[in-house]
Amino acid sequence: MNIRFIIAMLAAKISKFLLKLIGKNATYLPGLIALKLDKNFLGGLSKPETLICVTGTNGKTTTSNMITDILRDNGYSVTNNGFGSNVQAGVATALLADATLTGKPKNKVAVIEVDERSSILVYKYITPDYLVATNITRDSMKRNAHAEFITFIVNSALPSTTKVFLNGDDLISSFFGKENTDRTYYGLDCEIPEREESAGVKDIVYCPICGGKLNADYIRYNHIGRYRCSECDFVSPERAYTVTAIDRENKTVTLTHNGENHILPLVNDNIVNVYNLCAVSGFLHKFGLSFEQIAASLKKTAIVKSRFDTEKIGDYSITMQLSKGQNPIATSRSINYIASIEAESKAMLFMCDDIEEKAESACWIYDCDYAPLASDNIKQVIFAGRRCKDHLLRALLAGVDESKIAICEDPADGAGLIDTSCRNVYILYQLYLVNEAKKAKAFIEKKAREEIK
Amino acid sequence: MTVEVLFNEVCGLFGDVFNAQYLEKCIPDSEFIYTALCDKPYFEDNTPDIILMGAMSEKTQRAVIKKLLPLKNRILELIDKGVVFFVTGNAFEVFTKEIDYVSEEIKTEGLGIFDLTVKTDYFNRYNGKVLGKFNGEFEITGIRSQFSFVYGNNSDGYFVKSDSGIGINPDSKFEGVRKNNFFGTHLLGPVLVQNPPLCEYIISLAGGTPRLAFEKQARSAYTQRLKEMKE
Ligand SMILES: [Zn+2]
Repeated sequence: MNIRFIIAMLAAKISKFLLKLIGKNATYLPGLIALKLDKNFLGGLSKPETLICVTGTNGKTTTSNMITDILRDNGYSVTNNGFGSNVQAGVATALLADATLTGKPKNKVAVIEVDERSSILVYKYITPDYLVATNITRDSMKRNAHAEFITFIVNSALPSTTKVFLNGDDLISSFFGKENTDRTYYGLDCEIPEREESAGVKDIVYCPICGGKLNADYIRYNHIGRYRCSECDFVSPERAYTVTAIDRENKTVTLTHNGENHILPLVNDNIVNVYNLCAVSGFLHKFGLSFEQIAASLKKTAIVKSRFDTEKIGDYSITMQLSKGQNPIATSRSINYIASIEAESKAMLFMCDDIEEKAESACWIYDCDYAPLASDNIKQVIFAGRRCKDHLLRALLAGVDESKIAICEDPADGAGLIDTSCRNVYILYQLYLVNEAKKAKAFIEKKAREEIK
Repeated sequence: MTVEVLFNEVCGLFGDVFNAQYLEKCIPDSEFIYTALCDKPYFEDNTPDIILMGAMSEKTQRAVIKKLLPLKNRILELIDKGVVFFVTGNAFEVFTKEIDYVSEEIKTEGLGIFDLTVKTDYFNRYNGKVLGKFNGEFEITGIRSQFSFVYGNNSDGYFVKSDSGIGINPDSKFEGVRKNNFFGTHLLGPVLVQNPPLCEYIISLAGGTPRLAFEKQARSAYTQRLKEMKE
């Protein structure tokens, strides 16, 4: 056993203990310390019997947490970084927490969410048995550049023995691990959209094989959809697990596999979450769980609450939604979902600006779909934050009526601008603005309680 | 006026497509031609007043070079005629002599209209801001985020002299390129939306009458960004 590794492990374990002592969560630091002392630290850890990695631009936290919850519910002891960090140090922190001093894992299974960009730093040292991918779309331009770059990073790092479980409706991530022979695809085969053209930006336009023009059978959002090439015989990959029906009334989905239908609980009806549900259920079935086991566990699990949270007080309905700024596709999905909810008089408080970045963060909003904000049932849109004037201009260019837009530079002032005649209030907030978001929610709650009196 | 927007479907990584969409609102009587990468460029047989192209991936850059290389002489002719080119992000690198994609181990010959070379490295992304005077007339501001640096002497033909931030590479103060009315800049995204004086300048230079859409709001946002850049 390598002495450097043991020192790194000891230091990391001690730091984890000290952090706990002062009431802090050890999500990142122990791993960072270990990697500083031994840069091959991840390679020194013995791999758990089964290592499942989950990656993708959007939905990887939800997917990874749901897989973990369901496995635990079925008696597995699982190591997971769900509430920690998904970069190399976070992965190391999660794995070392459940390992002995010599690096032997205590749990048989690890479900690890891996940041796409960290692929090189993770897969170089530990070979996943499975890789579950949600999707790849454009994200923070500073960190993620563009989708082709992310694909290059993942593909140059992913070991060829890993079994890949991929979104067949995403022409980008479905090409992960080109050399990997064990490939399974999942996707949605219901509520087929009529449109063949997408309103949003697309990260793939031409055939991934020959570069020819792609014809879309349909597009769900951005580039997510089904395609065929006009010049070669390429078509979107055949899917082994498909959601073939969504029953919103009874809150179920039908998952079809090998021609047989299985009814599963619908955790959340936002289409991006139906994709996550499909990834989770399909993957766990491939892993060895029965659909009955998956359905029973899904009934108990819910999406990590902080991500989407609706509360009804009196006549008001207040929804809090965590939304990463700088990520145009995730934000577009949130806006689209809110616009699609059948309710009159909606108000939306939008506080998604980055804290450190000043004038530098005004590009991503132009890749974001603001057109749904123009819909009649959205009565008010408030942009609260440093870039409020840029959001205003962007919304005007999308055809949103200026009379329904309010702006303020200080996110804390957002609450005071909410038009309380709107009964459905949606608060989209950046993680660091959670307190301001809560204040805005409290403001509406107070108003609602006054009305009840 | 006629505006040709080149390869909009793949050359608009960071909101660059809004340069065209904003122009459409500022010069509403003009004709906009959106040329896809698989189409024949309009400029091949016609003379547009403005040609736009935005940021793209490295793979797309190579495809664009392949597409434009046979049209090099026509492009030179258009530049001589005074046609306004406005290209953002890494689009202007297409017009340099050579791009060395070090991480992908590929070297590609460019159009060679500018006597410059490019080095693109996936493992060194540069993020920064630009603040500088354009033509000594008005201030330009924005951001850049790129894998590439450009090398060579552009001191006699640049987009802006950077007061804050770097030029075509970390040792240069001269940002972007200029040849007659061809403007290339590493600034990203909706540069014309975010710099109203530049938008007016480009329209006027091409012979149009600028009437900026949402002018009040655009100027107010620009002033705010300028102020923050100087902080
Ligand atoms: Zn093809």
